[in-house]
Amino acid sequence: MNEHESVRAMLALSAAVLLSPDEVRRVEEHVRTCELCRTDLETWSEYAQGLRKLPQPSAPAGLMERTRAKIVQEHAVAAGRRRHAWLLAALVVLGWTTSLIFWVVARALTGGVFTVMGVNLVDGVAWSLSSTVLAWTTAAAAAMMLGRNREMRRFL
Amino acid sequence: MILAAAMSLEGFTGDREVARLRKGDPDAITDLVGRYQHRLFRFLVRLVGDPATAEDLFQQTWIRLMEKIGSYDARRSFEAWLFAIARNLAIDYLRRRRGISLDELDDSGHAPVERLVAARPDVLSQLLDFERGALLAAAIGELPAIHREVLTLRFEEDMKLEQIAEVAGVPLSTVKSRLHRALESLRTRIEASGKGIL
Repeated sequence: MNEHESVRAMLALSAAVLLSPDEVRRVEEHVRTCELCRTDLETWSEYAQGLRKLPQPSAPAGLMERTRAKIVQEHAVAAGRRRHAWLLAALVVLGWTTSLIFWVVARALTGGVFTVMGVNLVDGVAWSLSSTVLAWTTAAAAAMMLGRNREMRRFL
Repeated sequence: MILAAAMSLEGFTGDREVARLRKGDPDAITDLVGRYQHRLFRFLVRLVGDPATAEDLFQQTWIRLMEKIGSYDARRSFEAWLFAIARNLAIDYLRRRRGISLDELDDSGHAPVERLVAARPDVLSQLLDFERGALLAAAIGELPAIHREVLTLRFEEDMKLEQIAEVAGVPLSTVKSRLHRALESLRTRIEASGKGIL
């Protein structure tokens, strides 16, 4: 690539003011003697000027207020979600603690053996399994009730 | 109004507002939205080509910013961070709409000229400028999104190469070559239309 071609490839970026000082000097020196590149640089400058003065899209009226309202709404939703997560975690801990306490009490009262249909219900594994099933069933029922309650509030 | 907003941004780093946001001060977000609303909205309109979508993305940008404020690195430029969030949301939107990546995108959505407002002193030059601006805006609307992005960041937001690279998440050399291709492509389109801007 000769100097003319090399400079010509820089003209667009020259109009965008993105050349290094060295490149700027090369362009300036070249366009002093090259009519073609000088005209081309002028055209690029017109484009750059036009791009800096594009018609502006007007921000819709009330954009700031609507954005603020949306942020407040999202903030409230997120806070509600966090509250629910904490509540759920607390319920899980409470459930397991209650189950453990009941297990200890049941074992103390029955002497560690309480057989129904051949299964020792106060055995550690059996107690864990039955507690888990009971907890999940209760949680599912609670979630359904909460969901129905929310639907009803939305409807009203 | 936009000029006034841009001028009030001189020397603005956003540090104080970010610190207030982290402390949960709700007025801080109002100040920031107020400062950036025109520029950010304009950037999003240029990217997605539709004011209603741009408004939706504008709101999502601030919500995302609130979510991420805890992880904001104060050494970074706040402006570049904000525009990067907006850009990523716009990319996600364009990908969902077109089902293709931004790099391949050739968006033909025109900027709605009827909603564009020009501010020029002289009536005749205003008309000429508006016509030229509308022609350029329409041609930009036909460019791929990655080209629209670099053009608006460089010429309208007056961002430096480093800032554009930070917003777009690409190396400086890529920004430079994208700008070069964007300008070439813009000129080719306008000259092919036979109208010219001179």
